[in-house]
Amino acid sequence: MFDALFKVFFELSPVVFSQGEFRFAASTGSYVAAVVVLVAIGLTVAAYRSGRGRARDRAALAVIRVALLALILVCLFRPLLVVKAAVAQQNFLGVLLDDSRSMQIADYNGQPRSAFIKDELSAPTAGLLKALSDRFTVRTFRFSSAPSRTLEPGALTYGGSQTRLGAALSGVRQELAGLPVAGLVMVSDGADTADAALGDALLGLKAEGLPVFTVGVGQEQLSKDIQVGRITTPKTALKGTTLMVDVVLSQSGFDGQPVTLDVEDEGTLVSTQQVTLPDAGTPASIPVRFTVSEAGPRVLRFRVSPQQGELVTENNAREALIDVRDRKEKILYFEGEPRFEMKFIGRAVKDDGNLILTVLQRTADNKYLRLGVDTPEELAAGFPKTREELFAYRGLILGSIEAGAFTGDQLRMIAEFVDRRGGGLLTLGGPRAFAEGGYAGTAVADVLPVVLDRARVQAKDTVSRLTVKPTRAGSATAVTQLAANEAASAERWNTLPGITAVNRVDAVKPGATVLLTGTDEARAERPLLAFQRYGRGKAFSFLPQDSWIWQMHASIPVEDMTHENYWRQLLRSIVDDVPEQVEPSLTSERVEPGEAATLVANVVDPSFVELNDAVVTATITGPDGQITDLTMSWDGEHAGQYTAAVPTKAPGWYEAKLEATRAGKTVGSTVTHFRAAPGEAEFFDATRHAATLRRIADETGGRYYDAAGTATLADDLRYTGRGVTTVEEHELWHMPIVLMLLVGLLCAEWGYRRVVGLA
Amino acid sequence: MSSASRSVLLALAMVGGGHPVLGLPAATVEQDFRGFQRRPPPVIEETKAAYDGRFTFMRLRYGAADLRMMRREPPWAHDYPRADFHFMKILSELTLTRTFDDQGNIRTLDDPDMALFPVAYMSEPGFWTLAEAEAAGLRAYLQKGGFIIFDDFRENHRDNLVRQMRQVLPEARWVPIEATHPIFHSFFEINSLDIEGFYGQAEWTGIFEDNDPGKRLLAVANYNHDLGELWEFSETGYLPVDLTNEAYKFGVNYVMYAMTH
Repeated sequence: MFDALFKVFFELSPVVFSQGEFRFAASTGSYVAAVVVLVAIGLTVAAYRSGRGRARDRAALAVIRVALLALILVCLFRPLLVVKAAVAQQNFLGVLLDDSRSMQIADYNGQPRSAFIKDELSAPTAGLLKALSDRFTVRTFRFSSAPSRTLEPGALTYGGSQTRLGAALSGVRQELAGLPVAGLVMVSDGADTADAALGDALLGLKAEGLPVFTVGVGQEQLSKDIQVGRITTPKTALKGTTLMVDVVLSQSGFDGQPVTLDVEDEGTLVSTQQVTLPDAGTPASIPVRFTVSEAGPRVLRFRVSPQQGELVTENNAREALIDVRDRKEKILYFEGEPRFEMKFIGRAVKDDGNLILTVLQRTADNKYLRLGVDTPEELAAGFPKTREELFAYRGLILGSIEAGAFTGDQLRMIAEFVDRRGGGLLTLGGPRAFAEGGYAGTAVADVLPVVLDRARVQAKDTVSRLTVKPTRAGSATAVTQLAANEAASAERWNTLPGITAVNRVDAVKPGATVLLTGTDEARAERPLLAFQRYGRGKAFSFLPQDSWIWQMHASIPVEDMTHENYWRQLLRSIVDDVPEQVEPSLTSERVEPGEAATLVANVVDPSFVELNDAVVTATITGPDGQITDLTMSWDGEHAGQYTAAVPTKAPGWYEAKLEATRAGKTVGSTVTHFRAAPGEAEFFDATRHAATLRRIADETGGRYYDAAGTATLADDLRYTGRGVTTVEEHELWHMPIVLMLLVGLLCAEWGYRRVVGLA
Repeated sequence: MSSASRSVLLALAMVGGGHPVLGLPAATVEQDFRGFQRRPPPVIEETKAAYDGRFTFMRLRYGAADLRMMRREPPWAHDYPRADFHFMKILSELTLTRTFDDQGNIRTLDDPDMALFPVAYMSEPGFWTLAEAEAAGLRAYLQKGGFIIFDDFRENHRDNLVRQMRQVLPEARWVPIEATHPIFHSFFEINSLDIEGFYGQAEWTGIFEDNDPGKRLLAVANYNHDLGELWEFSETGYLPVDLTNEAYKFGVNYVMYAMTH
């Protein structure tokens, strides 16, 4: 529409103006005429300096007259637009056609997006292809994950599971290198699913001066659609752990409609809840709670049942991969005085097959009781004195034990346990804990999520009686969920009996999250459970001294599991994601079948110092049972980091068993999994991404077109200035806009005179 | 003498140093049926400790609440309060347990606040009578994690204890506790149970969770023994030091076990 209007006024398309060079082709007569016009301008100015009428009116009339004469003067100098135009059939044109699955979405005039390609580009006589072929030698490419030449655009299958715009552009640029290429045309919905940034590909095109003309198909907003958006799940979890996952739902056309949100673990329904869809354009985050009870690599599927009239149903479900580990996580609990908190925490987790609580209970000065030790030597000398000994545990609980019970090095070890080893630390309230236990100013205080204030140490036997409630963050975290859903959990917290604290903490560190708060007798609120990440690990602080009241209190039924669940969840949380000596990771847990997965291993010694001279091998077992051994190599950049590219063939789960040795001794081993499977990314955010396509065009010097507005595309491509070109000169003086301006100025002068009475 | 025994004796000396509540006038003493000098039945000051996180002994009261018709102290109050205070003093001196020092803690089995004190002590269970609400209270207490010590009973008193406990935990069985059980090693190393108790050869029996000796002890009973009596008179010198010493060891171990298992 804009282009058509532009052409009415200027005779030429905007592309010609943007690509052309403005010049004057003045002759000798032009200069003579210019003198005459300048004289006329001088006379005009002189005539209007005095005479009838107000000075303001005379000035306005003088300006109009001078503008009129100036316009005539410009025209007398013969303005030209000089532009390089491609010589017909002498230049190549790369046409890239999106062959991905999102092109199947039926939002192009009620037809699939691919219908545009079928109508306009599949046959030599089809509208757009014919227009292009008349002017250029067309090379057609199909692309999804990578481009490939196609001679029959009509044979596209639209089955690609990815859209990699950058890779497609770079590939075609290289394919056509050395040929006189006028430019590239990209037909796509713009829904880029590549991990890599588009900028690198555009940089290459810009450097070569190769413009890309993009054609966007599809709608910028689907009329009726529900999408399960971002989901963040941990990569690993301990078997039996209850997870709380935020599922982001967005929709259009279903405002306020109730739907069912299900979670399936490898096809087994593990959670279902009714949710009310948010307003269009406002994504809502829905907390979902479920338990991973089966070990191994698991596919979790979050799904909203398809609703009537939805254009895309594939985006109603999203998958997350999680490695559920069935292993025993060992936690060291050091309690500095006999008290019931230790007993009841131990009882709460004793039936949890994945947690081992090893207790070092100080009963008297220099007298310890050891519970849950594996060997007679374990902790025989008291609290660990070496990093190797301490770092063998994955979690550490400090009960009511004063800082003075540790040496300076042990306090630093505890801090390093979190920071360097990546372990989880939990500090419990008690008369010998926190500032009351002398921790302010120690290395441990730096790790804690709470601020310890020496000036506010509580007097001996000062007790605060507290009612506990979760914060907003606590309501959305699995650690503090006491029931199947948020409302039931909040109700349970409301009915729990009060507990007491002897430590006073009023502030938390800037990066800390408070999950529970307590209200004391003076109705003052204070943090009771807080956590923060510190270095590689995390630290929790739980201020009350007697959570066992949640088990023993008369109001708590015998069969009630609140206390047990709370402590299991909290202790599982502190050992969640604690790294191994050989810690695997993958750049992506899912790759397309046939693509290589990048496997990364971080290798450390028993004191968690990175090793760069280890021999790391990966034994890969494919879904067909085929075993491949790979040697991973140190990446040379990151201390202790080894990488390997693992090729995939068949779709399915791949198991990677990593083993690190050093000087013939095993450092550690671990197992991880990844999956080769086609992704559903094509159907997420699958609207037309005009902004992406516009950016490609703008940054490369091309233009963006809607699918309905490609009439001028073929002509516009002639003026890219690339390839074999000829110079065209377009006279501008006879543009309709010039005549309109002349007439307009004359009319304006006459009209003004009429208005002010000078006609 | 082991260092632990020396510790007990040292603590005993501290108990003997005088407790304000225990410093009763000498004129009030008289002889009891065994010939020991003892005070006439005191007016029982039934206090309840206000829970603040510290440990205290909970003495269980049972039977009639009205004591006016009784010639002597009711069975549940036997050795109270001196035994309780002495034991708390010893416990706080020997271990790092924070205890109430000067406060008795007497509660009935249907007192909802008994849950705040997970170690209970019952004297003379041979006279124990039990209402349904009390049975329910003790059942929940034990099932949730509480621990009870039965002390000071002999002869056929055990029959009553078994009968009453059957109301509390119908499936529970009393079984002998071996000397190797952790309860006898939780603080002091008690390697032999071949002990002449207050009333004869002492026997230690207990009730295990789910009747599984591998699981937690819910209750321990000192048949033919009277730890409370020994605790009560520990500062007088009337009783052999070794016997008193051993009585404290049992008590400390019971509490340490109850706090850690």
